[in-house]
Amino acid sequence: MKQILMGNDAIALGLIHAGVDMVSGYPGTPSSEILGNFQKFRDKNKLEAYAQWATNEKVGFEVAYAGAISGKRTCATMKQVGLNVASDALMSASYIGLKGAMLLISCDDPGFYSSQTEQDSRSFAKFARIPVLDPSTPQEAYDMVKLGVELSHEFESIVMLRPVMRVSHAREICDVDDEIKVTANKGDFERNIPRWGAVPPAGRFRQGLEQIERLEAIKMWNWDHLIKPKTHAFKGENMLCLTSGTGDGYVREAVEELGIKADILKLDMPYPLPKEELEALFVKYDKVIVFEESYPCIEEQLSSPKLYGKLTKHVHQIDEFSKDKVLSALANAGVIAPSHAYKSEKYTEELPKRPPNMCPGCPHRDVHYAITKVFKKKKSIYTSDIGCYTLGLNQAAIDTILCMGASVSMASGFSISDPDKTVVATIGDSTFMHSGVAPLINAAYQNHKFILVILDNSTTAMTGRQTTPERTNPHQIDIKRIVEGCGLTCHEYIYEPDLNKIVDFMKSLQEAYKTATTPVVAVVREFCVLDKENAKGRLGKVSVEVDEEKCVACDSCITNYKCPPMHYNEAGKMEIDLFLCAGCSACLDVVCPTDAFVKIEEK
Amino acid sequence: MKYQIVIAGIGGQGAVFLVKVLSIASAIKNQKCLGTENHGMSQRGGSVSCYVKIGDFYAPAIDEGQADLLIALEGNEALRNIQYLNKERGTIVVNATKKFPKVDFETHTIDAFKKAKAKEFPIDALNVYMLGATLALDPHFPFSEKEIEEAITLMNAKVAEQNIAVLHQGINDAKGVK
Repeated sequence: MKQILMGNDAIALGLIHAGVDMVSGYPGTPSSEILGNFQKFRDKNKLEAYAQWATNEKVGFEVAYAGAISGKRTCATMKQVGLNVASDALMSASYIGLKGAMLLISCDDPGFYSSQTEQDSRSFAKFARIPVLDPSTPQEAYDMVKLGVELSHEFESIVMLRPVMRVSHAREICDVDDEIKVTANKGDFERNIPRWGAVPPAGRFRQGLEQIERLEAIKMWNWDHLIKPKTHAFKGENMLCLTSGTGDGYVREAVEELGIKADILKLDMPYPLPKEELEALFVKYDKVIVFEESYPCIEEQLSSPKLYGKLTKHVHQIDEFSKDKVLSALANAGVIAPSHAYKSEKYTEELPKRPPNMCPGCPHRDVHYAITKVFKKKKSIYTSDIGCYTLGLNQAAIDTILCMGASVSMASGFSISDPDKTVVATIGDSTFMHSGVAPLINAAYQNHKFILVILDNSTTAMTGRQTTPERTNPHQIDIKRIVEGCGLTCHEYIYEPDLNKIVDFMKSLQEAYKTATTPVVAVVREFCVLDKENAKGRLGKVSVEVDEEKCVACDSCITNYKCPPMHYNEAGKMEIDLFLCAGCSACLDVVCPTDAFVKIEEK
Repeated sequence: MKYQIVIAGIGGQGAVFLVKVLSIASAIKNQKCLGTENHGMSQRGGSVSCYVKIGDFYAPAIDEGQADLLIALEGNEALRNIQYLNKERGTIVVNATKKFPKVDFETHTIDAFKKAKAKEFPIDALNVYMLGATLALDPHFPFSEKEIEEAITLMNAKVAEQNIAVLHQGINDAKGVK
């Protein structure tokens, strides 16, 4: 059956068709739609299956892993930096193996579209010694989900699927199964203490040896089933291109469009590779060039003087692939003359930059504004975290961003290393649950003095508004009570679009800080403007315009408040784009030093 | 057939919706289609560019100098993406005033913001309006009015009637422009 699917739809449907009935993960672009789509397909097909957001990737991985050692087919989803969080569990689970099947989906982001790093999950799979499949299109992602689940069961190993953003968020007409042919396994945990509870050294030593044997077997499976059949299509050219994932598409298009003579071998499973068998193929070629995103995972497994790639600096080392980069690599390796076939001139005049920004009406903007207003820049350090509020960078209201939860632990660190400054940390509710609680306990028991503002919009907004623990089960999970459980007071502010009030609230925190000996913690109860349920009735009441007589074009509003509708018109005066304005009215007071923002009177 | 389209705009204007509609239209036409979309941080009010490649393609992204058509939901976003257009046959359909700078490509401007300000169509449907304009202005556009209507209906039958009305408004306004 043909269906038009985005990569992450295809993956979700593949999981259903592979008989996976336990999915756990944490949202992160570009992986976020997989779990939500699985829930949709599950409900549409009236299946019994567990699919829930975990508090973080490590928790999600461990839930799915327990399912897999009970004999079920399971899956954990995350983005590549989420895999860092889950890696503790992965490294051990890789030694132990499993009974049912487990597909670990880690989506990569070459080109840093929505990520702090360009790290390659395939290289992580290599480090963890588990096989990895690298799809190049949504169709392949669908097929490889099914293959990966089968392989996982056959070899009793976790199998990784590594789609990049250009696969997860690609859209293609896919050929998928008409019906669900696989029935889900019933979980039945069989006690086997030497396996599931192995302690070092003897137990783990044996499992380490088994892991190596397993890898050798998978290598040969890779050769027999995935690589060798493809070698029959070789045309006896002088150059061999080894490709993986999306790199393959760019090479294939460039070679076809420009009539470049090359044999192409796509490695569906870039780890583990049958080194001897692959290197034996090189005999017939003058040069072998590796095209892969984003680290030299394939290249590091092979050795030959004929091999060209990132390690030899013939292929670009950072950023996503393009056909232009394919041509550069071929030219660098001396197999074609330098070519500009895929280059064209950009528009030469300067265009206004349009970086991502918080939505009009977003309460985060007011919180950042109030923090910088009350806690002066010279005497403060603003640590922040991963989420929409990261975009407070646009307001120069953030000094550091490291990784999930680091706003709190780094606030601890700065309070020790630079005690003359007031550290103000901001973290979202989902990020706080993910990895903000442990550093808060650390700060509370060691009596670190800083201010922590938890921005609670009761959703994981940046990744598409997935549900949070507190939203799903507010009677049990409450940020205020978590903070109080650490023996700290939790100051609470219910957001309203009135900057005077939130500035006053920040002043009250400043007062509390003066005499504090512990972290001063506050929760701001917000809403996400895109969250229809919570934002209902809270926006769009007031339209704002600028009194041009009063506007002195001082830049204050677009520097410190930076709401998207604000821009200069042809007369050099501030103007509000009413198509973009959410009508929240927050800018009416405080923002403009000359009070140029005025309410449009209803006629 | 091979036809490559870049859709440029600002996060929230509905560029992704157009990728969906065009991929459904390709399926109706029995053509292969590979597209990419922007999600996550890149969609928060920032510059957005989505790709649709109809025909035999393997790579999801469009390289410089390749696109047959650039549909731009805003003027500066059109200019930001002109390097993707094919030098011989690249065409621009852009929501902009007549002041849009002269570039080396066949350019069709239509002032959709002005029409929306005059409440001639809801601003939320800007994407569909520009698709209508494209149908009227790009003679090489690989889909017919009927195929696009069918794709819009398949995508969301509940709001299809309003969307198709805006599509026709785009078509008619653009014809008037010509």
